[in-house]
Amino acid sequence: MPGVAARKNQERKRENAMEQPAADDYAKERYGVLPLIQSQDKPDRVLVRVKDLTGEKADEVVWVRGRVHTSRAKGKQCFLVLRQQQFNVQALVAVGDHASKQMVKFAAKESPQQKPISQDDQSPWNELILLPSPCFHGINKESIVDIEGVVRKVPHKIGGCTQQDVELHVQRIYVISLAEPRLPLQLDDAIRPEVDGEEEGRATVNQDTRLDNRVIDLRTCTSQAVFRLQSGICQLFRETLIQKGFVEIQTPKIISAASEGGANVFTVSYFKSNAYLAQSPQLYKQMCICADFDKVFCIGPVFRAEDSNTHRHLTEFVGLDIEMAFNYHYHEVVDEIADTMVQIFKGLQERFQTEIQTVSKQFPCEPFKFLEPTLRLEFPEALAMLREAGVEMGDEDDLSTPSEKLLGRLVKEKYDTDFYILDKYPLAVRPFYTMPDPKNPKTSNSYDMFMRGEEILSGAQRVHDPQLLTERAMHHGIDLEKIKAYIDSFRFGAPPHAGGGIGLERVTMLYLGLSNVRQTSMFPRDPKRLTP
Amino acid sequence: MGEEERGCGWAGHVPLLQSARRGVRGLPRVSQSGGRATGRRVRGLFAPQMPMYKVRPFQGGPGSAVPPEHLPTCMYRLGSVHREPKAGPSPPAEQDEVDPSLQALESRQEEILKRLYELKAAVDSLSKMIQTPDADFDATNIIQADEHVPLTASSADLDNLLGKDYSALKDIVINANPSHPPLSLLVLHSLLCESYKVLSAVHTHSSVKSVPENLLKCFGDQAKKQSRHEYQLGFTLIWKDVSKPQMKFRIQTMCPIEGEGNIARFLFSLLGQKHNAVTATLIDSWVDTAIFQLQDGSSKEKAAVLRSMNAALGKASWLVGNELTLADIVAWCAIQTTGSTNSVPSNVQNWMKSCENLAPFNSVLKLLK
Repeated sequence: MPGVAARKNQERKRENAMEQPAADDYAKERYGVLPLIQSQDKPDRVLVRVKDLTGEKADEVVWVRGRVHTSRAKGKQCFLVLRQQQFNVQALVAVGDHASKQMVKFAAKESPQQKPISQDDQSPWNELILLPSPCFHGINKESIVDIEGVVRKVPHKIGGCTQQDVELHVQRIYVISLAEPRLPLQLDDAIRPEVDGEEEGRATVNQDTRLDNRVIDLRTCTSQAVFRLQSGICQLFRETLIQKGFVEIQTPKIISAASEGGANVFTVSYFKSNAYLAQSPQLYKQMCICADFDKVFCIGPVFRAEDSNTHRHLTEFVGLDIEMAFNYHYHEVVDEIADTMVQIFKGLQERFQTEIQTVSKQFPCEPFKFLEPTLRLEFPEALAMLREAGVEMGDEDDLSTPSEKLLGRLVKEKYDTDFYILDKYPLAVRPFYTMPDPKNPKTSNSYDMFMRGEEILSGAQRVHDPQLLTERAMHHGIDLEKIKAYIDSFRFGAPPHAGGGIGLERVTMLYLGLSNVRQTSMFPRDPKRLTP
Repeated sequence: MGEEERGCGWAGHVPLLQSARRGVRGLPRVSQSGGRATGRRVRGLFAPQMPMYKVRPFQGGPGSAVPPEHLPTCMYRLGSVHREPKAGPSPPAEQDEVDPSLQALESRQEEILKRLYELKAAVDSLSKMIQTPDADFDATNIIQADEHVPLTASSADLDNLLGKDYSALKDIVINANPSHPPLSLLVLHSLLCESYKVLSAVHTHSSVKSVPENLLKCFGDQAKKQSRHEYQLGFTLIWKDVSKPQMKFRIQTMCPIEGEGNIARFLFSLLGQKHNAVTATLIDSWVDTAIFQLQDGSSKEKAAVLRSMNAALGKASWLVGNELTLADIVAWCAIQTTGSTNSVPSNVQNWMKSCENLAPFNSVLKLLK
C-alpha cells in the first residue's frame, strides 16, 4: 500500500502544480460548485427542457439543468452528454473566450469509475472520495449541473443523443448536486440491449442489481419510458371508463377473515385480532353494484400471498377492476371491457409513440397489434385449434400455461392480433360464483382476455341470485358459514352483473413485449423481495 | 384438495384461477422431490446389507459364486466368460443362424426401398405427363364428366370441402386493404350467406388508422343472436394494411391464399358448383383476365378485355355457359372497381344490368354509393 499512497501523493502534487496558474484563470467565475440550494433566492433564470433543444433554438443562449451522463476530454475541449429524463444533448466545453483550460479540466472528469472496478481498486478509491474539494476532480457522472450555453446546429447528426441536430456550446457550468464518484451500476450498461451472441462481452446489469439500486435504474431512458407509459395506461383507463359513465370507487384493503377464505391472503395484526390484506376488490365492487352504482371501477393495490417466483407473479400489484350491471346479456359487459382495452391500446399508440420507441431500442419487439372490435373466440374453438396443433386435452380441462402461449401464437397467426377474448370457459374450472351457461350446463358465462398469449383479465357473469349461489357453493363444497355475508348481500334485490380485474404491471409488460413483470413494477414485491 | 382451494378463493376471481393453474404446475415439483426421496431410500437400503467389516465366505455354496441377489443392482451383470462357449468355436453355421430380428429389419428396409422406387416412378411419370400433356394423357374422361350442379350445397358438403373441425366454427379470415375493397369477395359472401348459416364479422386491424363507415358495415347489421358454434361457417373480414387480399383458414395445414382472384376461387368452390375441365379452365382464364388486365391493367388492355367480353356476351347471357359463374362475379366487380361502368360496350352493359338484378350484386352496388 505505501507504493499506492506515494503515487497518490505525487498525483496530488502534480494537480496542485497545475492549480498554480489559477491566478490567470480568466474564466474563474464561469464554473464551480454552487452552494447548497436552500431556497435562498428566486432568480428569473428560465431553464429550457432538453427535449426542447432543437434546430429552432439555434444560436440562442439558454440555461439548461440536467445530469452529466458522460464526459469525455479531448485535448483542449471536453464533450459532455447532458441528460434529462429520456432526452439527452451533447454539450461542448472548449478553451476559448468563455472557457479556460481550468474550466475544461473541471468539466472533464478524468473519471476513474470508467475503469472496471476490481477489488484491488477499492482502497485508492476511498482515498479519492475523501479528498478535500471535489472540484479538483471535476464533475462526477450523474451529478446535476446548470449550464449556460449557445445552441448550435451541427453539420452531422449526433448518433448517441436524442437531440441529434444541435449541441450546446457551454459558457458557464455550475454543479448543483454532486454525485459520488462510484456508481453501483453504470447507466450505459443498464440500457445496453441484450444481444444473443454476447460477442463483445460487454457488461449488462442483472435484475437484482437493478432492483437493489432502483433509484439509479429508474433514471435510464428505458425505465423512464416504461413508467411514463404505465402512467398513460392508468390515465387512459380512467378517461375511457369515466367517459362511458363509470364511477371510480375506493375499496378497503384491510379486511376481515370471514370474507376472504384464506388460501393465499396476507395476515396482518389488527389490534387484538388479525386482519387480512385484500386479494381482490371483487366483493366490494359487487356490493356497489347492489347499491345501484351501475358501473364502477377501481384502481388499487391487490395482495396475493402466493409463494411463486415466476416472471409474471408479484405479491403486491395494482389491480384495474371493473364491475358493471347489464340488461340482458353479459356480452354487453364483455364488449365494454374489450372496448376499454382497445381505447387504451389506441391511446398508447397515439400519445406514447416516443416511449414505445425508446423501450424497443433496448428490448426490441413487434409493435402490439389488435383488432377493433376485439376478436372473441369461444372455448371449443380454442380447443379445436389446439387439437389441430396436436395438443391433447379434454373438453373440460383448463388451459395450461404452455397451451395458453401456443393458443396465443395460433390466434396471432390466423387473425394477426395480440389481444383477444376467450369466452365460455367450462364451468368446472371456474369459481363457484360464476354464472352457468343456460344452454349448456357444462359451460359458463365466463371469459379471459389475453395479451401476447398471456392472460391479463379473468372475469365472468356473477351469480346474483342467493338461492343459486348457495347451490353452487355447496356443489363446490364451500363452508356456507364463511361466505354468509357475501350471499346475504344479494338478498335485497341485485341487478345482473359481470366484471373482471386486470393487472396493471402485466398489461404494461405485455404491451411492450417485456419478459419480466418486475421491469414494469416500480418497486416490485415478490416472495424474495421486500426492499427497496 | 383442489376443490378445497378453489372454494376458499371465492372472493377473488383472478386469484382463484391462478391458484388452480399453479396447482397443476406445482405437480412436477412434487413428483420430483418424491423421486429424490425414493432415491435416498434406495441408498439407505444397501447400507445395512453390507456391513463394514463382515465379509461373506469367499467360496460359498457348491458351484456358485456370490448369490446374485447380494450383488449391488447398480452394476452391470456379465455372463461368465467361461461358461457356454455356444456360438464361439462353430462359425460354419453362421449363414443360417442370422438373428431373426436382423432379418426382419432387413426385409423391412427392402420393402421401404421398393416403395420408394415405386413412388419415384410414379412421380416421374406424373412429371412427364405435365411436361408433355398431349403425349400420353387422355383428357376425354375428364371432359365428359359433365354434371351441372346448381348453386346449392348443404352443411355436409361443407364438411367435405373444409374438413371436420372438432365441432367448432369453421372461420375463414380475410385480410383486405380498405383502400381497395375486394368487391368480388363481398358478392361471394352474400352468395355464401344464401346457402349457409354464416357468422359474419368485420374488424379493423391496428395497422389501419381509419376505415370508412360503409366498409365497416359492409355485412349489414349483424345480429349475433346465436352462439358462435351454431353457425356453419365463419366469415371474418379484417381491414388491414396489406398490399393484396389474403385469406387464412387452417393455419396448421394450409398456407394463406393471396390475391383477390385466388380467394374468390376458393370461396366459389364452397358453393358446391361443379364444372368439367373445359368450363373450369374457361372460368379460370376469365378470372385471371379480369383481375390482371381489367382491374390492374393499362387502359389499352382494359379496352381489349371489354371487346372480348362483348364478343362472348353476344353469344350467351353469361360469360361462361348458361349460368352465373365466378367469371361473371369477378369481371363485374373488376369493372365496378375501375369505375368505367358507363363506357362499356352494349352487350356488356346488358350483362351488367342482369348481374345487378341479383341481390348479392345489388348489395355491393349500394356499398359503392
